[in-house]
Amino acid sequence: MISLSSYAFVSMILFSIGVIGVIARRNVFIIYMSIELMLNGITLFLVTFARYHFNLDAQVITVLVIAIAAAEAAIFLSVIILLYRSKKSLDTDIFTTLTQGENS
Amino acid sequence: MTDIVFIALSLFAIAGAVAMLVNKKPLNSALGLLITMLSIAGLFALLSASFLFMVQIIVYAGAIMTLILFILMFLNIKDEELPDEPKKYMFIGLGAALMIPLNVLILKAVSKLPNADLSIVEGDFGDIKPVGITLYNNWLVSFELISILLLVALVGSIVLAKRRKPKEKRGEQ
Repeated sequence: MISLSSYAFVSMILFSIGVIGVIARRNVFIIYMSIELMLNGITLFLVTFARYHFNLDAQVITVLVIAIAAAEAAIFLSVIILLYRSKKSLDTDIFTTLTQGENS
Repeated sequence: MTDIVFIALSLFAIAGAVAMLVNKKPLNSALGLLITMLSIAGLFALLSASFLFMVQIIVYAGAIMTLILFILMFLNIKDEELPDEPKKYMFIGLGAALMIPLNVLILKAVSKLPNADLSIVEGDFGDIKPVGITLYNNWLVSFELISILLLVALVGSIVLAKRRKPKEKRGEQ
């Protein structure tokens, strides 16, 4: 029997795995993919409530969230290219500066 | 029948997410995330959101995952450049313990709601036309703002990712 709670359970698990990935991992790519996973979990919850209330506004919000995720992907991946070119690493502990230093 | 499909899709989604979380190499993690996104597209179809089903497959599993895989192969990351994470599983356990109260809270709040049948509905609920009508009637300002955001992201990523020639000349002087 599929109820609201089972969909809520799945989306909460996905969101929690995203948060844990941001907390626990040090690879920049894994952190980015965890953020995408958090967005996915929340959109699943939104679509569940759109079906529950027979209201299409939540589905429209989901479309907007997917567009924001696309814009975020473009910016985040170009920032990753910049950081990797200057430091030759993917470790977040090394990325402590935001300035363009002379010796970077 | 629908129960079996739901259980299989949610198991695939959670398994892909866990594979993304624990893998060391980013390429394997990206493939785990791809499985998760395709399973979420299937869950959208179960919730009779056919337009979002297509958008999820085309935009997420198509465009964004292609971008991630392209950048991963473009950077050509060696194994020794990956950060070694000796305490990874300890931090994962700590994060899981942190997330338990929020999960319990939301599950209790959701279980208080009146139960409803969530099976696939007949008719055009969630099809392209009703979603588009809602989008252009109620959410027009958000739509325009999203278009500006996409333009800014396009220009910004080009400005960020191009090589800076003048700065190197300044360093030589």
